[in-house]
Amino acid sequence: MRAWFAAVVILSGCFVLTIAPAASAHEGEENVPAFTDVQEAIAILASQPELMDNAMDKVGDAQESKDTMGVDLALVKQASAALDRNDAAAALVLLERSIGACPGAAVLEPKEPPRNPQPLSSPCPNPQHLQGLSRSAVGGTQEAVFLALAGVMIVAGLLLVRRIR
Amino acid sequence: MSSVEAPSQAPSAAPRTRRQRIFDALDERLGLSGLQYPVPEHANKLAYSLGGITLITFILMVITGVYLTQFYNPTVGGAHASVRSIITSVSFGQFVRGFHYWGAMAMIILIGLHLLRVFVSGAFKRPREFNWVMGVVLAGITATLFFTGTVLKWDQESLEALEHNIEIGKILGKFGFWFSPSFGGVSILTRLYVVHIAVLPLLFVLVVAVHMLLVKRHGMAPSPFRKGPEPEPTKPFTRHLMELGVLGLVLTGVLTILAVLAPPPHGPAPVAGIEVTKPPWPMLWIYPVEDWVGVSGILWATIAIFLALFLVPLIDRGSERDPRKRLPMMIAAAVVVLTIIALIIYAAVQPVASHIGMG
Repeated sequence: MRAWFAAVVILSGCFVLTIAPAASAHEGEENVPAFTDVQEAIAILASQPELMDNAMDKVGDAQESKDTMGVDLALVKQASAALDRNDAAAALVLLERSIGACPGAAVLEPKEPPRNPQPLSSPCPNPQHLQGLSRSAVGGTQEAVFLALAGVMIVAGLLLVRRIR
Repeated sequence: MSSVEAPSQAPSAAPRTRRQRIFDALDERLGLSGLQYPVPEHANKLAYSLGGITLITFILMVITGVYLTQFYNPTVGGAHASVRSIITSVSFGQFVRGFHYWGAMAMIILIGLHLLRVFVSGAFKRPREFNWVMGVVLAGITATLFFTGTVLKWDQESLEALEHNIEIGKILGKFGFWFSPSFGGVSILTRLYVVHIAVLPLLFVLVVAVHMLLVKRHGMAPSPFRKGPEPEPTKPFTRHLMELGVLGLVLTGVLTILAVLAPPPHGPAPVAGIEVTKPPWPMLWIYPVEDWVGVSGILWATIAIFLALFLVPLIDRGSERDPRKRLPMMIAAAVVVLTIIALIIYAAVQPVASHIGMG
């Protein structure tokens, strides 16, 4: 009986020691404004979509936050569902709209996000911002002309260097 | 009489061709023949042309930069959208931006190699110590141009670079007032834009002018590697200029290919308050230092590197230029260069970390 009691005490101690730091690490997260959580989730999805779990944590924190000013929680919930479906692109757009930002709109001031979002019915200036712009090629005949010119410059340059020397 | 007037006064046996007469007319007014002063033969080697090619790259940066400024909006609300517009809507915008980006990379590499060549060949030694200092100042201006250019594209990488800049301003206390977002009447992005397109280029030109005047005053430093007849044969400086022009042509071709085949990335609009990117590779060596000591590491590591560079002429004071006879200095330089390369590789494979607020 004593052995059982000791085992229970030790296991309980281990449990407390394991859980306590994790619990304390999350303590106070509900005091972080939902606006900030959503912004951070957007930043993660926009810059490092492979860290989707971190983005999901932030979306969860936003939903539990006490300060939800400037955030449309219904859209955040939809974003959460999109993340569950592994649809990062849809989640990103929903999160941006949840704080009234148009997709691709620039931050107005570093570290001072706007707290009064625009109405969701307002049109976005450039909703295609996320479509393949990370490395867009010059393309078309321009590309061939530039490459041909570059080839001429390099060959002519190397020949002239030899001649000058 | 000055040597400028001499060619037109000299009696000529054969009738002057039209081309020669045009040159004579220009020479009489512009003193072009004054550029035909002799320089040692080794000046035309590639290693001794790196400084000149760096200057050509700077000129290419100014030309492409002027084009980009016609379409760039230097405000926090409009910068990102204007860069997107340059990429997608402006005629040749994507190409010119790519050329500017790769030119900046080339300038960093070229000025680094030029500095290294001057160090290895002992060209900074008496009486050229002050010109070494001018060269280090030019390297500093180039690095600052690179940093401010990184901020201007205004994506996540840019905003994080700016936030680090603001943090460093706080570490500097009163001396960091200029980096405060609350200083001045316009946003810090707009102020950095002014620095990027006006203040730094002007400083660069002024320091280059002094640098070149001192090269002219002291002449090209002798090469410690040369084996051949003494005194070393010379060639006119105009020949060196021609070679630089031709090398500039090759460089323009290479940059054109890079701009077309590897256009620079532009990320989504930035979001404040989070660190999810790493700096571009020329600044990546500082990233592990930040991991270890926080944002202040950027400040102290940069100061340490530039202080060491400024002090080189005082540390390596002997008259010996041959690197094989200056082994301790060569080993020290190799350690520094290899450490920087190792830090860049280490940072490239490390996961992204948050540094702001670490102090």
